[in-house]
Amino acid sequence: MQKNLLETQHVSVQYGGVNALDDVSVVIGEGEIVALMGPNGAGKSTVIKSMFGLAPIASGEVLLHGEPYVPIPHNIVHKSVSYVPQGRRVFTHLSVEENLEIGGYIVKDKSLVKDRIAAAYDLFPDLKAKRDKYSGTLSGGQQQMLAIARGLMTDPKVLLLDEPSLGLAPKIVKEVFELVSKINEERHTAILIVEHNLQSLLPIAHRAYVLDHGKVIIEGDAQKVASGDILERIFMGTYKPTH
Amino acid sequence: MDFVVQLTINSIIAGSIYTLMALGFNLTYGATKFFNLAHGVMATIAGYTVFYFSSQPLYISIPAGIFAAGLVGYVLDRTIYSPLRKRKASNMVLLVASLGVFTALESLIALKFSSQHQSLPEIFASVPTFNLFGGSFTAIHLLIVASAAVCALGLHALLKYTLFGKAINAVSDDEEVSKIVGINTNRLMGQVFFVGSAIAGVAGILVGFDTVIIPIMGMPLLLKGIIAAIIGGLGSLWGGVLGAFLLGFVENFGIWHISGEWKDVIAFGLLILFLIFRPQGILKKS
Repeated sequence: MQKNLLETQHVSVQYGGVNALDDVSVVIGEGEIVALMGPNGAGKSTVIKSMFGLAPIASGEVLLHGEPYVPIPHNIVHKSVSYVPQGRRVFTHLSVEENLEIGGYIVKDKSLVKDRIAAAYDLFPDLKAKRDKYSGTLSGGQQQMLAIARGLMTDPKVLLLDEPSLGLAPKIVKEVFELVSKINEERHTAILIVEHNLQSLLPIAHRAYVLDHGKVIIEGDAQKVASGDILERIFMGTYKPTH
Repeated sequence: MDFVVQLTINSIIAGSIYTLMALGFNLTYGATKFFNLAHGVMATIAGYTVFYFSSQPLYISIPAGIFAAGLVGYVLDRTIYSPLRKRKASNMVLLVASLGVFTALESLIALKFSSQHQSLPEIFASVPTFNLFGGSFTAIHLLIVASAAVCALGLHALLKYTLFGKAINAVSDDEEVSKIVGINTNRLMGQVFFVGSAIAGVAGILVGFDTVIIPIMGMPLLLKGIIAAIIGGLGSLWGGVLGAFLLGFVENFGIWHISGEWKDVIAFGLLILFLIFRPQGILKKS
């Protein structure tokens, strides 16, 4: 039976009295790619932030390996969970290699950090050529690769990816999703992806959740979710909830 | 000609003191993004700690002074600034809090040691004076310049070649992502305050050895450090150094034909010019 690695259980998040998430339960199981979809403002990024201790949970809880866990951002990374935030957000005043070193900040064995940097260069050859360049000088696609590579430096069991295709050219988006799939297959890393680009995401996802107005509207097998017209209706704003 | 040499020497000495103040100020500003006005009183604390331990050998009292400044900076962060940051206080609130800390600590020092100036023990049995191309300077001046160079290069090495330094740069860049990669940013900021305050302590002790110590010595040092940091580029280590020496030279050569009382007018005039025409400072891109 597949083990649940990280989940939110009936989580509600409020910002200034406004519900950003309402009773949301999302599960990431061992080795799977989970898609989190929905229109702007649906609360997709807030789900990830609540798992990482970056959003104020009003009710509900986060479970790690099935046990209740109060997430604190600088601690959860010790529990083999990594987060690549939206907008790339590399450390622009550090070089590519320094970004990777900082990605391995919590790794005590520094020879392991070196090995992982070498592995990151194998996975992202473009970064190797620019290892001494300031990351602020990289292209958008390279910065996204670096952000993902930085997230892999702790060799996480769960990787949370927030809008990895945002602002990237279609060719680069394709490369990013191929890499995500490769990371999942080769490293068995469970991946939760928040994404707008359904065309790229759904073919590689195992399961999917669709959010609207802070609630989970549908969940299940990614291909089944993709086959109906509900996604189109949600994105077009014509979906009417029955409850 | 001799006068020009002497002015140059004076400028370098002043630039070195301002460098020491700007280094620590820029370090804490880079990590926390607020104007820590209490930075000035760290110089006073270090000077008075050396004075307090006057009966002890200098190899004890000087490190004690530097450590005391660092420790007070660390404790202030843990007890005042860190709780304020956790409550998401604005930078203006933090600035006002630091001004309160500055005033309170300065008053406490005056209460304990009187508001009169005091002399630190002699650092050299007889202060040697050197002559260079017609200009003169003392061994303490040499120590000031050497200390500024050692602190600047040491801080550069810390930031560039250690994981601790890279983590400081990361926090300066993006605090939230720094947390995401596992950096305990609150603890790191406490450590940054320790280092920054200790460097300000070095400045206070050296000024004390060169002249005297007085409870109100922190404000002029702070202001010159801030001017140097702003004109060099806030948060930039080498920008601060450049700003400090530019300020030292402009201040000293500016009063060539006029009274020394114009020094502050020139210093703040330079600051205003930079704020209008190059607010990002010398080394920061616009």
